[in-house]
Amino acid sequence: MSSNKRSTEKVTRRDFLKVGAVAGASALLAACAPEAAAPAANLPDLTSGNSIPLDDLIAAAKTEGQLTTIALPHDWANYGEMIETFKAKYGLTINELDPNAGSADELAAIEANKDSKGPQAPDTVDVGVGHTANAMAKGLFAKYKVSTWDSIEMKDPDGYWWAEYYGALAFEVSKPAIENSPQDWEDLLKPEYKGKVAMAGDVLKSNQSVMTVYAAGLSRSGGDKTKAAEMGLQFWKEVNDAGNFIPVIADQGTIAQGETPIVMEWDYLALANRDSLAGNPETEIIVPKTGVIAGPYAGGISAYAPHPYAARLWWEFIMSDEGQNIYLKGYAHPIRFNDMAKRGVVPEELAAKLPPAEAYANAVFLSVEELQAATTYITENWRSVVFGE
Amino acid sequence: MGIVNEKLTVQSKGDAPMARPPHKRASIINWLPLAPFFLFATMFLFLPSISIFIGSFKSVDGSFTFDNIIALFTVKDFINAYRTSLTISAITALGGAVFGFLLAYAVVLGGLPKGLRTFMTTFSGVASNFAGVPLAFAFIATMGNNGLVTRWLESAFGFDIHAGGFTIYSITGLSIVYMYFQFPLMVLIMAPALDGLRREWSEACANLGGTSWHYWRYVAFPILIPSLLGTTILLFGNAFGAYATAYAFSGSFINLVPILIGAQMQGDVLFNPGLGNALALGMVFIMSISMIGYISLQRRAARWLQ
Repeated sequence: MSSNKRSTEKVTRRDFLKVGAVAGASALLAACAPEAAAPAANLPDLTSGNSIPLDDLIAAAKTEGQLTTIALPHDWANYGEMIETFKAKYGLTINELDPNAGSADELAAIEANKDSKGPQAPDTVDVGVGHTANAMAKGLFAKYKVSTWDSIEMKDPDGYWWAEYYGALAFEVSKPAIENSPQDWEDLLKPEYKGKVAMAGDVLKSNQSVMTVYAAGLSRSGGDKTKAAEMGLQFWKEVNDAGNFIPVIADQGTIAQGETPIVMEWDYLALANRDSLAGNPETEIIVPKTGVIAGPYAGGISAYAPHPYAARLWWEFIMSDEGQNIYLKGYAHPIRFNDMAKRGVVPEELAAKLPPAEAYANAVFLSVEELQAATTYITENWRSVVFGE
Repeated sequence: MGIVNEKLTVQSKGDAPMARPPHKRASIINWLPLAPFFLFATMFLFLPSISIFIGSFKSVDGSFTFDNIIALFTVKDFINAYRTSLTISAITALGGAVFGFLLAYAVVLGGLPKGLRTFMTTFSGVASNFAGVPLAFAFIATMGNNGLVTRWLESAFGFDIHAGGFTIYSITGLSIVYMYFQFPLMVLIMAPALDGLRREWSEACANLGGTSWHYWRYVAFPILIPSLLGTTILLFGNAFGAYATAYAFSGSFINLVPILIGAQMQGDVLFNPGLGNALALGMVFIMSISMIGYISLQRRAARWLQ
């Protein structure tokens, strides 16, 4: 590993601290070597991956003073408020790298900065859950189990990554164009929806649309994941044959104009759309009765993080009730939602703006392997099955 | 559109044959002013082409492979995509060329009021650059299922444009969308070429007893043919490479090569840049063939000028 050299250098503890706890702690982490833990006995242990008591963690993070994040747009899942609240609460500064980076870019940033502790090295990432396989294979994540670990519904058993929030695929319906909103996937085949059913992306390009195919199949198969991909393609073939499918890539513009009155989208995007359209036109967000599929995002800590304690504090904050409710304000469903709803810590006014909580109770999560298998099957057969080419 | 504009200025100068300056031996100094052009061409044309070529032989993990090239000839979706792309490009290039030429003729030589010409060229300049998401949305909002024009025809005349099975979301529909920028581009390039036809030539033809048909068949058309051919090829390339318009209009519903390339390079579902490069290489190859065809036709057409 990168810092073998550093750990063999003869440095006294005082020198070590002078160089800076930041560099020292990250060297420690990267080395992952038990003997390296000795010089910094007063800093909490990072190697076990166990939750660090909050007071110790805050103290350690304050010596680092900074956190480097990447790919957190302020209007996505309410990250703007998340960042500001964290800064105010713990007095750390946050160095935000490219907010518009994609999941693959985030992992590439970790990899490219393996040997660098500079400001371009991200401490934490937030990636589409499918990308965790790649990150694990390359050893890019450090393990850590936050204190609320037990109530996280989707996670790596060893603590290398965990889901923080998810969206469920929902129907966004433009009310003036559609009198009776569809309530379930099979409804989309009704003749009254001729030329009115659209997707928000292309199946060959967007994970959201692949999941749109899969969710319809899951509804048909009665929850049987092994048949969902195949039955989903069959379903969309029927929608297309019936003339109900309209191939326009739906966005806010086409929804407002009425060309794509029924669109399948992640609920948090649909709900944010509803807010920005502000009643012109009126839209309704419906989570289908069956085939509710969850699209989770996964958090992780860079194995090469320059500020490992700040990174762990960041996740303790996000995964706390407070942080999870901040996601909910941006319509992203916190992964601990069911637990929080049970304990009654979800504020009333937030819950009122969302589709009813029961709709999410049956949300189906796919493992990384299931996701990859479904994606391959659906993209390879999409054209031939649905368009009969 | 960078390439288009560049062509445009080159073409609009050299349409009608002018008196040739005496042939001078080219010295290195004469080439010097062209250096920026060569630099530009190297950076934005040759280097990317080489990178596409090399990339075509790379697998996902970076090793050497022929799989991508083989896939071009064996995967049904890819073969279909080339067929559809070629069809749409050919239809819109020929359609744009014919109608664009006729409109340019009407504006330049048709004896229409002068103001109309200014208006037409300005409009063409804007319309030929109107592409991508805004163009797709413009057509969706006017001629889509819920479009303004569709609805108006329905309510005012009881005419349902979908009655005969027509839908804008089809190859025909996409061709109409492409014509929106093809047509004005032709006008823009042909207008100066038609300006280059000197009145003396038609007078000379008439003096020798030629009819209008003779003039067009033996004088005007042969002079114009290099620009006509060149512009048609340009329109072909313009449609062949169009991506954003088609994607916003109907995703991968219409199976086009650029859409498949986009899916391989920048989606969050498929990721095989090597395959994307191979698909692009196929496009480069097709464009090279049509350029070679153009050059030889142009040589033949221009032979008598020399």
